Amino acid sequence: MSSAVMPALTEKQIQKLEKSQTMFQIVMRQFVEHRMALVGSVIIAFFILISLAAPLIEQFTGLDPSAQNVFNRYKPPMTMATANSDIKETAVSQLIQLQPQVAATLQSELIEKNLIISAKPEDVLYDLVAKDRSEALNIVDQLKSSEAPILKKMIKGFETYHLFGTDELGRDVFIRIIYGARVSIGVGVLVAIVSALIGLLIGALAGFYGGFIDTALMRITDALISLPLLPVLIVIAAVDLTKIPGISFFLSAQNESIYKLVFILCLFSWMTVARLVRGAILSLREREYILAARTLGAKDSTIILRHMFPNVMAPMLVSVTLGVGESILFEAALSFLGLGIQPPTPSWGNMLFNAQELIYQAPFLAILPGLLIFLTVISFNFVGDGLQDAIDPKSIRR
Amino acid sequence: MSTYITRRLIQTLVVIGLLSYMCFYLMTLMPGDPVEIMISSNPRITSEDVARLRTLYGLDQPAYVRYVNWVKDFVRGELGYSRTYRVPVSELMGPRLVNTFYLSLVAMIFSLAIAIPLGIYSGLKPGSKFDYIVNFLSFGGISMPSFWLGIVLIIIFAVNLQWLPAGGTQTVGIEGQGFWAEFFDRLKYLILPMLSLSIQQIGRFSRFTRSAMLEAMRNDFIRTAKAKGLSHQIVVWRHGFRNALIPLITIFALSISSLFSGALITETLFAYQGAGRLIYESIMANDFNVAMVSFVISVSMVLIMNLVADICYGVADPRIAYN
Repeated sequence: MSSAVMPALTEKQIQKLEKSQTMFQIVMRQFVEHRMALVGSVIIAFFILISLAAPLIEQFTGLDPSAQNVFNRYKPPMTMATANSDIKETAVSQLIQLQPQVAATLQSELIEKNLIISAKPEDVLYDLVAKDRSEALNIVDQLKSSEAPILKKMIKGFETYHLFGTDELGRDVFIRIIYGARVSIGVGVLVAIVSALIGLLIGALAGFYGGFIDTALMRITDALISLPLLPVLIVIAAVDLTKIPGISFFLSAQNESIYKLVFILCLFSWMTVARLVRGAILSLREREYILAARTLGAKDSTIILRHMFPNVMAPMLVSVTLGVGESILFEAALSFLGLGIQPPTPSWGNMLFNAQELIYQAPFLAILPGLLIFLTVISFNFVGDGLQDAIDPKSIRR
Repeated sequence: MSTYITRRLIQTLVVIGLLSYMCFYLMTLMPGDPVEIMISSNPRITSEDVARLRTLYGLDQPAYVRYVNWVKDFVRGELGYSRTYRVPVSELMGPRLVNTFYLSLVAMIFSLAIAIPLGIYSGLKPGSKFDYIVNFLSFGGISMPSFWLGIVLIIIFAVNLQWLPAGGTQTVGIEGQGFWAEFFDRLKYLILPMLSLSIQQIGRFSRFTRSAMLEAMRNDFIRTAKAKGLSHQIVVWRHGFRNALIPLITIFALSISSLFSGALITETLFAYQGAGRLIYESIMANDFNVAMVSFVISVSMVLIMNLVADICYGVADPRIAYN
């Protein structure tokens, strides 16, 4: 019957069908069929690329994530901000104070070449920056001294283009969003991976040894799962963790709030993975090949690591991917309450914390970071869903 | 059954006890104790006074001794005074819990009313266009930062359209203007927080309803019912949906805690006078008594609701044996 329905296959097609596919190929083919997952992975790749390239983008655009300018607050998106004469003069006097030799050589060269005529020699630099941007840059281009780029960078900095506008301190939102992507996605990925490792360990111990260990560990897991997480997280986040003996070791002074947040989130997000791993290991424990390994004299650790973990990896990958989205949401929620990442380090969550009071002046500030959180989390969720479909043997169609 | 309930009850009590101790211990680690705040507000305080105050409040004792004393007071019903509000904690706590209960209840009912029909219809027609759209929307709901949705709702409905208040619990002076006036006033203040709180639950519930419905409609007895010639409505509702309800109850139980987590952040954003906001504010203001009591009571409520939902599970499905 099948021969009547199916059209005749060419030699090539038969060859192709007979060629065995590796597991990876099968999973990939399934994954690609899930259109939203594909879109999601492209979006994630784009965000990760952007956040990795953050220093490059900073260099290229000349924007500084922490440069404040009180005269340029709440600029709408896609505006050009020009520094007023006050700011220009402060910048010059700062240059003269902090790098006197540089300022002196520039000054003398400007006078020598007669590029600027001033009443007093000290005023040359001030007169230069007071000029129009293009005119000033033209003059600087004629300088031969090695210090000219410093001056050029300064003059360029007076006129900045803000793609996403500026925030309540006049900082450029575009570059802060990019650095915020670094923090938010970084924290999400780190928390998901670390908590998956914790869950793997606890689930494996509980599932493999059973008995009292299993009961004790699973009671703890159940208790933690039923907790309302946010109040607990708030209590812990509000605390000065360094006062707890033994923990100060994990928290270095630099970027303390980031590590603290990762630590706290990890404490409370390993439970789903632990349950999943325990379930998988419980069923694996009864398989013949485990018995075979044991008969051959394999140690417990060998059985768990070499024979059981590879079978748990695939569902764990799904759970890690879904965990990233959840961790990003929790990071954002805590930072939004002012308890997560502390300013001036930008994260999407704490950008919203600042913006919630400014919805009358600058609604855009409140919309953009949240939109990016939403986009990232939904992408991770779709990728997780796609992976789940792809590795589920019940749904595999060859 | 009764042994199961007793065991779960003891388990819940142990969790509450451990959690309250952990919370107590952590709060002793918070920067600044009550006496330090008194010192900062009164620079001329003498060191003898400081020592005397510390002994008076028992702050010179180790954390576990203070915890035991606190539990004794708590059991006797002496919840202490709030330092910021200058009223007894019990007076503060009651209305806040009621407000949070209203908000959670309204949000829960709203999300179930939206999610269950969506889930059922997409579960009955898997792979259809409707299913595809619902699936996409539920993913959107799950991934939505609820506080951000709250901000957007405020921008749209309170700032631009000026239809609804941006925050608060009720209009000042509305008390005593009749039940219905007060009722509608409260409702007006509830709409935006409810929407922002429900979005994640809607996403989660509709996904679970869909898969539970799919699973239920695959059973053999559904085919039998259809073969008997029962109407589509009866097959779907009496045979399919009733069986889909069972896994839904578990999700309902688990979502109580996430609902409370969500309520905390929603209340903070909308300045709604609820228990979640009280926890947040008292912790931020270092108001020790309030923070402890509001935390322990709210978390206990959530855990007990969880327990109740778990017991309901057994009532809904007689096949489940507790042992």
